[in-house]
Amino acid sequence: MQGRFWRFVAAAVLVNVAVAAPAEQQIKPVVEQVGEEVRFITCPIYRDTDAGRKSGCWLGDRRETGTRFDITGSPTKPDWNHAVLVEGRVVEGDTQQCGGVLLEPVRVSVLHDQNCTRHMLPAEGFTGRRFSLPTRNIRPLYEPRELPKPPYQEKSFDIPFDFGRDYIVYQLSDYYIDKAVKYAIDIDASRVEITGYAATTPTTVSGQTLREPAELALRRAEVAREWLRRMGYPLDRVKIRAQTKAKVSDMEGADGLTEPSRRRVTLRVIP
Amino acid sequence: MQGVVVRALLTVMVVTMALAMPAYARDWWGAGEGRVFPAVADFPNEHGTLRVLLQDGPLDTRGHPFFEPLGPHGRACVTCHQPADAMSLSLASIRQQWQTAGARDPLFAPIDGANCPDLPHGERDSHSLLLDHGLFRIARPWPPRDHAGKAIKPDFDVDVIHDPTGCNLSPRWGLPSDDPHVSVYRRPRPVANLKYVLAMGFAIDGKRGLPLPLDPDTGKPVSGNLMADSRVLTLKAQMHDAARSHLGFFERLTPAQIERINDFEMRVFTAQQQNRLGDSLDAGGAEGGPAKLADSEPGRLGSQGIGVWSEFAPWERADDSSVTPERRALRESIARGARSFRERTFLIADSRGVNSPMGFGNPMRDRCALCHNMSQMGMDVAPGQVDLGTTTQPFADQQPHLPLFRITCKGEPHPHYGRVIHTHDPGYALTTGRCADVGRITLQSLRGLAARAPYFVNGTASTLREVVEYYDRRYSIGYTEQEIEDLVNLMSAL
Repeated sequence: MQGRFWRFVAAAVLVNVAVAAPAEQQIKPVVEQVGEEVRFITCPIYRDTDAGRKSGCWLGDRRETGTRFDITGSPTKPDWNHAVLVEGRVVEGDTQQCGGVLLEPVRVSVLHDQNCTRHMLPAEGFTGRRFSLPTRNIRPLYEPRELPKPPYQEKSFDIPFDFGRDYIVYQLSDYYIDKAVKYAIDIDASRVEITGYAATTPTTVSGQTLREPAELALRRAEVAREWLRRMGYPLDRVKIRAQTKAKVSDMEGADGLTEPSRRRVTLRVIP
Repeated sequence: MQGVVVRALLTVMVVTMALAMPAYARDWWGAGEGRVFPAVADFPNEHGTLRVLLQDGPLDTRGHPFFEPLGPHGRACVTCHQPADAMSLSLASIRQQWQTAGARDPLFAPIDGANCPDLPHGERDSHSLLLDHGLFRIARPWPPRDHAGKAIKPDFDVDVIHDPTGCNLSPRWGLPSDDPHVSVYRRPRPVANLKYVLAMGFAIDGKRGLPLPLDPDTGKPVSGNLMADSRVLTLKAQMHDAARSHLGFFERLTPAQIERINDFEMRVFTAQQQNRLGDSLDAGGAEGGPAKLADSEPGRLGSQGIGVWSEFAPWERADDSSVTPERRALRESIARGARSFRERTFLIADSRGVNSPMGFGNPMRDRCALCHNMSQMGMDVAPGQVDLGTTTQPFADQQPHLPLFRITCKGEPHPHYGRVIHTHDPGYALTTGRCADVGRITLQSLRGLAARAPYFVNGTASTLREVVEYYDRRYSIGYTEQEIEDLVNLMSAL
């Protein structure tokens, strides 16, 4: 019901814009549907809700439609000084927590080369969302850990990345790469093959052409190799390669989002 | 009869001496004194009493390499890690030593106890940073070298904008020299509770997006929490570094010396034991004081286990009728401060190591315990290189007595400061050579604070209140007077 309300509001705004704007600047009205995957670039807005630690809200206006989205759920949160690439799926959810149409799952990539004027809204009656520990988190060393039991299987692990970055995203990518490296060490894998991918095929988002640089594929693979080295896996058993024009994958870490699934590293762990 | 007279005279002498001495005369431990380090030692300070515990009993320090002078300056490790000062060194002790022993005391050795070694030794002005701010000179090679000694190509340039000590532009000691160094000025860190400092709670450094750093000697991971700028990663490396840079001891410490120092350092625990009213901090159900530290497991994350400073939670309702109202009020204040530390949120912005690159967002709403997250210690369980702004403009308080450097990033700009940065101490960037690390300083233990003012890496907070007030300004927190008082009372009880 609330989702429909927001779509109605968005549509009304768009119609008004379309009427007011000159014909050549008219924006084709696009109103998002529940389940639709959206991708846009915008300047983020911080709403200063306070329901305890990490409870502030992040909003992003999709300028093409005028819809204000709640993008708080992204593992990477925005930096209010920079534009963000937002990729997410529209769901019906509680818009009263932050004041935007909910995207879930959602990924935010900070575009450091595009500056924004920082903007903060007061809570304005929105409650914010109480923090709960993401399910994808690395457990402390002092907690007991179950080791894999033989016979060991060959396994592939996909590590997701933000757009344009080789940083291992906290409480998302680290969860997957930690699993991969520990598996390789636990089973004393004979070989690990790392393939780094970059989404080098150009796409147009919010009027901008986006493409990842080709060298990013190798940099991502090298980060994975460094994880193996630091955690004690012998590097002479590691093979590394890079692949551009990354294709869509079904990796778990992308949560079904299309474009984020291209940005990855795959570790193939061979017993 | 004669005995009575003697006792009376002694009493008069003791009373007279007590009146003549400052309220908290420091028990100075000079190099090579050969005392016995007791299993339990209490030292008064303005906030109450600090206790130092030595696990497994007393230690005869005669011939012990932590206590005996090494090198030409006559210094020992204990010179700058005084038991009465929570195994760090307070400004009060430094001044007392200047008054009682003067410039000839090894503490004021020109190599780092003067603003620059080539200043006239013995003149007060030559030692002003130590005497006025408790700061020692730390000379870092430029460009930096990695932990294995290999040169790093930095992604930023350093220019000296202001050089009040003359050391950074000195042709002998500064950047123009044949052996270029950057001189920064820092407080000594406490050599106590080290099992917490060295503990590894998690296998990763989320601030780098990588697993923990590796000790170049052993290839094993280490906590990354040992030094302000993480320039060395292990106690052994720290011993060699300190022996060279602070003691002037250029021979290698022997394995036996290292083992003895290590053994001692890992046995020392310290914390405030009594508050200013003489109330024990482990009374009434509370678990303050060092005994708990010695017995607890280190490296635990407060948010997933024992809440940070929850050892004072039993005092939230201090209904013990045997306690005076004044003591009860102080207990309640300490407990409120502890809860505030854990729960009072504020907006944290533009702090590298927090707002980037972790993905927490810039800004984010969180609490003191976000970074000070280790149970019972208040350090960061992960390697804690965070930029609070204490050394870097525009957030740093005015520090005209310190050098000011202009950092120009050659690659990507700093995520919060941009391409050109002005800083009194680049911190972690002097180790990594990365512009993005400018201003990041490793969080340290919050234990024994009452005994070791001033605070922050560069001693800019003279009192615990000034610490709270800095945070209040830096993050526009808006603490009430009561909240400030509670936090000060908490910190004075750690």
